[in-house]
Amino acid sequence: MTVAPPARPRPDDSGRSVPPGGWLGWISTTDHKRVGLLTAGTSLVLLLLMGVLALLMRAQLARPEETFLGPHLYDQVFTVHGSGMIYLVMTPFALGLGVYLVPLQTGAPGIALPRLTLLGYWLYAFGALTLLAGFATPTGAHAAGWFSYPPLADAEFSPGTGSDLWIVGVCLAVTGAILQGWAVLWTILRRRTRGMTMLRLPVFCWAMIATCLMVIGAFPALLAALTLLAAGRADASLFASNAWNIGYQHLFWFYGHPVVYVMFFPYLAAVAEVLAVFCGRRFFGYRGTVLFLLVFAALSMSVWGHHMFATGQAANDYYSLTSIALLVPAGVEYFGMLGTVLGARPRPRTPMLFALAFIPQFLIGGLTGIMVGTPVIDYHVTDSYFVVAHLHYVLFAGSAFGLFAAVYFWFPKVTGVLLDEGMGRLHFWLLVAGTNLTFLPMFALGYLGMPRRVSTYAAFDGFGTLNLLAGIGAAFLAAGMAVFVVNVLRTLHARRLGRARPAGDDPWDGHTLEWAAPSPPPRLNFPADRPLPPVTSFAPLLDLKHREGGRA
Amino acid sequence: MRQRHIFGTVFTVEAAIAGAVFLAVLGLLAWTLLRHRGGHPPARAAERAERPRLEAYYVGALAAFAVFLVAWTAWQNHREHPAAGPRPLRVDVTGFQWCWTFRYPGSPAHRSVTGTCKGRDMPTLVVPAGRTVQLRLTSRDVVHSLWVPGLRYKTDAFPHHVNTLTLTLDRAGRWRGRCAEFCGRRHHTMDFWIKAVPPRAYDRWAHGGTATA
Repeated sequence: MTVAPPARPRPDDSGRSVPPGGWLGWISTTDHKRVGLLTAGTSLVLLLLMGVLALLMRAQLARPEETFLGPHLYDQVFTVHGSGMIYLVMTPFALGLGVYLVPLQTGAPGIALPRLTLLGYWLYAFGALTLLAGFATPTGAHAAGWFSYPPLADAEFSPGTGSDLWIVGVCLAVTGAILQGWAVLWTILRRRTRGMTMLRLPVFCWAMIATCLMVIGAFPALLAALTLLAAGRADASLFASNAWNIGYQHLFWFYGHPVVYVMFFPYLAAVAEVLAVFCGRRFFGYRGTVLFLLVFAALSMSVWGHHMFATGQAANDYYSLTSIALLVPAGVEYFGMLGTVLGARPRPRTPMLFALAFIPQFLIGGLTGIMVGTPVIDYHVTDSYFVVAHLHYVLFAGSAFGLFAAVYFWFPKVTGVLLDEGMGRLHFWLLVAGTNLTFLPMFALGYLGMPRRVSTYAAFDGFGTLNLLAGIGAAFLAAGMAVFVVNVLRTLHARRLGRARPAGDDPWDGHTLEWAAPSPPPRLNFPADRPLPPVTSFAPLLDLKHREGGRA
Repeated sequence: MRQRHIFGTVFTVEAAIAGAVFLAVLGLLAWTLLRHRGGHPPARAAERAERPRLEAYYVGALAAFAVFLVAWTAWQNHREHPAAGPRPLRVDVTGFQWCWTFRYPGSPAHRSVTGTCKGRDMPTLVVPAGRTVQLRLTSRDVVHSLWVPGLRYKTDAFPHHVNTLTLTLDRAGRWRGRCAEFCGRRHHTMDFWIKAVPPRAYDRWAHGGTATA
């Protein structure tokens, strides 16, 4: 009879074995907070890089017949900007936020599948490097746009290693996202603390459930599409039939539309949490919001064809029906946000400013989304600057504002110190001015007939003034982002010197469990000597303050 | 011109609705922020954060509105694409990197127009005003898209596939056409002219003459 050897201590479970320190500790960590920070931090660095590419494009388009980039370099720049923002910035940041926050919000000591989560980060980081490495090849980076339709993206029309690197890079990054999506979903389903029933999950966790379901359901379609593209690059005859050309578009958009909501729900939910906390009241219409987030996610899988109305090969009536039906769940989400704010007396701190601006600015993206979901309108505006304006109102004026609301809101939790309020406000106002000045003129440009992805335009087209305005707006955006970077670096520097004022565990009067943990949270999130408050609703800390007769 | 007309109706209606919704939301937000700036006491957290009946009515109203929008715009879409009718003029349009070819299979002189789209060498698609024209679109290499912004309409041109687009230009005139689907390095130069001329002038042109509008 043999005795089983004692199991080796697992650092993420017992917390007894000491993880390595320094940079090795960061890159080999199984602590969800470190993986979340690596993911979100990497995506913020890439956000700045993609922003620089955007500035190059706006500089090129500020005047007619400008040639400072040259057509081929311009094509590389917009391809990497578009694919970078979607595959490498907005999606990973959303998942990184989930990896960091979901265990804290559900009262779990760690994430489910910690090694898989770390592997997800590494796939993403190497994917980003691979994609960007295209710029170092002799023929340059990939230049066929972020949706890379064949046959343009095949080996005949897009020769060069840059395109191969792009396919590999995107596949790696998307695989990483799928792994992190599984880990976050599994954490919510399996690692909740006592009393945390599904209908007591914070709004943010429910948004992550819907997000991860879409990641798991739709992202493999992109891997399939890119596999098809890779096969077609090896054997060009694959695309000698329309079935494969149009088939790629179907597969691509089966991923391409849900990813819009992957880049929206986590930010929407961050905004929802910020609105509730800074209004000092419960999020309004919680159950309806949760139910319709799931409806939203389900419907998102059936709308891809509205990207293809102009192909003449998609069922217009059906896709128009499903696309316009999205206004019902979207309307319910807005109902919840407005219901939370109306009649309250909000505290206008920086996170709240970003959250409040999110509401009207994103609405422009949503309302024009209904317009482009209408075939008659889409036939004119698709592939024009109208769509460029629409998608930037969704992703920049919307999601990016939610992203900054999240950064300012959770920064004290992550670091233990607050970002500077004055610089935060300056960042906010520069971004509001810059966003609207950059993207509002694009609606008019598209309506007037400017196609997207053109490296220049003729003087007699009459697009000069509006493009110049957009260029000036981009300068405001750049200034705002510079203020943000200085704010973060200065605050972190002061913290390192021990000069920063500690923010405390709960600087904003938070509602959810992460504010019951110390700032920054220790290895296992909630120290044994500080028991978690009882979970009686989706805002347990608000319940606690009510019971103690404190502020409401 | 039918496309332009129907687009105008639908775009105006939807833009007006969108504008009204936007102003309503902005107004509500502004009102609540300004009203509670001054000396009003802070609102207490609502005891009930759910209003199920109100929410149900709201969802019902949204759904009814969505049904109206879908039905009405689908009807407009079908109105935009009527059957071609008897004997439309057929033009075979081929997009290629980076210009267009227009062939007239029914023309006695077998007219065919193409160009390089470099500088002023832009091809002109000549059609008779007032007559239904059927464009049969295809591509020689990658996906292109034929867009006439003035007509508010575009259709993609695929290789190994023919897309059909039927249009009627009510009056003589000249409009700019462009490629809308990104198709490579010289995508931005892939423009053409579409020119509608009186039917008699068109017939002269189809027999090998020149077309004057």
